[in-house]
Amino acid sequence: MRGPRPQQRLARRRSRMEKRYRRLLALYPRDHRREHAEEMVGVLLAADGDTHVRAPKPVAWALRFGQHAADSADLIGGALRIRGRMALNRVRRTRWLSWTVRDRRWSDALAVVSVVAPLLLLVAALTEFRIPQAVASSVTGHPHWGLTATLGLADLPMAAGAPGVTLLVFLRLRRLAGLGALATAIGQLAAGAVPAFAGYADPAVAFTVLLSCTAAAALLLSPGPDRGLALLTRSGTALVGTGALILGGFSVGGGVWFGPIDDGAPLRSGDFGGKVAGLPADLLIAAVLVTAAAACLRAPVSRRVLALLAIPVIPYAFLWQEKLAADLFGQPGGGSAIVPSSIPLLYLPPLLLASLILTGTWLARRRAGERDRQVRSATSGPRSAVRA
Amino acid sequence: MQEPTFLILTALAAGAQHGYGIMTDVARISDGRVRLRAGTLYAALDRLKADGLVAGDKEEIVDGRLRRYYRITDEGTAELAAEVGRLRANAAVAASRLGLAGGTA
Repeated sequence: MRGPRPQQRLARRRSRMEKRYRRLLALYPRDHRREHAEEMVGVLLAADGDTHVRAPKPVAWALRFGQHAADSADLIGGALRIRGRMALNRVRRTRWLSWTVRDRRWSDALAVVSVVAPLLLLVAALTEFRIPQAVASSVTGHPHWGLTATLGLADLPMAAGAPGVTLLVFLRLRRLAGLGALATAIGQLAAGAVPAFAGYADPAVAFTVLLSCTAAAALLLSPGPDRGLALLTRSGTALVGTGALILGGFSVGGGVWFGPIDDGAPLRSGDFGGKVAGLPADLLIAAVLVTAAAACLRAPVSRRVLALLAIPVIPYAFLWQEKLAADLFGQPGGGSAIVPSSIPLLYLPPLLLASLILTGTWLARRRAGERDRQVRSATSGPRSAVRA
Repeated sequence: MQEPTFLILTALAAGAQHGYGIMTDVARISDGRVRLRAGTLYAALDRLKADGLVAGDKEEIVDGRLRRYYRITDEGTAELAAEVGRLRANAAVAASRLGLAGGTA
């Protein structure tokens, strides 16, 4: 029985080659494929016809194999070059860190947070170095709280980062402020890692680390303080700042109410109320602060602002419950908490909340995209019918 | 300018050509030293088009396959001329230092 004619064999081989080349052309960007795939296949097949040589079967097969391997590698290389160039052009076209959230309400909420979070960070730093407590002590005559005497290397991220970020925010240097907040978070994480991760289990550290991260995200992903201040208004910003300062100064660790005296025993000052007076005062100030901030904004934005600010504030609850324990059992400081704070307890709920927000926004965006597509197909439908 | 780019522009300087024509012309111009393959050629054409040095020309169907022609643009011609000038100047300096041209003969 005779085999297929050479012409048929060639046609079959070409068809196989074409399939193989088309598979490789799938690596190219869609636009490039649409424009050049047909002519590239034509060129590849024409080039193959040119290199066809008469030789013993194994030699011809080896030559063809080498040719195809080289062409395939070249096609893959070409696809990588084109995709690489496209990616590079996209980066070049994009202004430096200019990607912002598209959804208007989330973008506005992030813009407000880009003002509030750095303010809170500054207050947290001031509180860490006992500045509001010292001021309060001098005003009230309470003698036991002075400024932190020594600043260690671990204090540096907050000591330098928080005022720096706030300054950059009010100079409207959004991206630099965002990077500064990110550096502050990384610095704190690095500092917390020094004594075998012990620092991470401190609610105050968790609060400031998460607050720095939230500030960084808000600054880098939103129009920034310009828009945030416009939404919040100056009086709103002043209100938030003052409220945070009062909250920070008078509540963290019960600074003014409790403090070690010379013999190390806790002191409770009668001037500042009874046994549990501190906690309701905190809650009252927090409630006033939240209401004031929410009142300054339109409802859909304020809800989002509160959701975003809840991320760093969750570990703050541990400070309050430590304080509550101190109020109830009279043992301020470590070991007095009702629920001892731990790394998972401090970090998992905020991370879960952040994931929830991300998933929610992603789903909302997808739904909006589907709605748009439906609207488009509904509006283009009758027109195509007419054309048909 | 890289050599394949220089050779592609040189091939097109004589007139519009299709992809396969450019490949064979480049091999001819370089005396068989540079053999462009389809991946390299179309990646280069894509870049040259984006830079405005090359533009698409006419299209035709030959043996049931699309054949698209490319031509050099004015900008491409100027770029090629500038490169020729640079290469010529460099070649002249190299030749004079090697004593191949000028007053030493």
